Amino acid sequence: MNHFCREASQLQSNEFDRELTLSERFRLRLHLLICGACRNYADNLVLLNKFFYSLRKQTEADENITLPENKRERIQTVLKKASASNH
Amino acid sequence: MVQETLLAAWRGWEKFAGKSSVRTWLVGILKHKIIDHIRKEIRDRKLTEAVESDPTSSLFNADGSWVDAPTSWKENPEELCGSEQFQRILEGCVGKLPEKQQIVFRMRELTGEDSETICNTAEISSTHLHVLIHRARLALRTCLEHNWFRGKR
Repeated sequence: MNHFCREASQLQSNEFDRELTLSERFRLRLHLLICGACRNYADNLVLLNKFFYSLRKQTEADENITLPENKRERIQTVLKKASASNH
Repeated sequence: MVQETLLAAWRGWEKFAGKSSVRTWLVGILKHKIIDHIRKEIRDRKLTEAVESDPTSSLFNADGSWVDAPTSWKENPEELCGSEQFQRILEGCVGKLPEKQQIVFRMRELTGEDSETICNTAEISSTHLHVLIHRARLALRTCLEHNWFRGKR
């Protein structure tokens, strides 16, 4: 018997990156109904996707920590002076 | 890289019109520097499809079934984000991917670039991108299953 798992794994990954065609979607859904291993694979991918999403949010939050106002002004003054003396 | 960014910022200071915050401007320059760097890296090493390994051959039997069927993972993605141990293992797994897969995977999942940017940077077609990402996900899933999730049960 020929299993569809190999193709299914490709389609499941693609689903995150592009829209599947009607027939691809149909074949994949049908296979997932009967294949527990591929359902697990689908859940694993969703979990990883959520994990990377949270990780990116976390990184963005870290990036948004701003300099205190006085330090920012000091840096800006220094930069302005430097560019003025460049002329 | 940061040095180069600051240098570029220094030279281009007059061109900075103040339309955005200094931070956004600097991050913009840094992004371009990183993309330039990756482009150069790809050209230098002449990464080709041929040298990329295809993990699907070892993960599936000849009849198309899983060699090692994926198991159910019971963990919470937000909690995993807080686990340094998990992130270390993840980094190890990503580090083991073939280079081109690693580059596109990092751009997609870690920096969250869109497909168009990734394809342009890596100079590949979107079909090729989907294949690389699919292979990376398969390999990463297997690696995490062995090194993290299996030990947790």
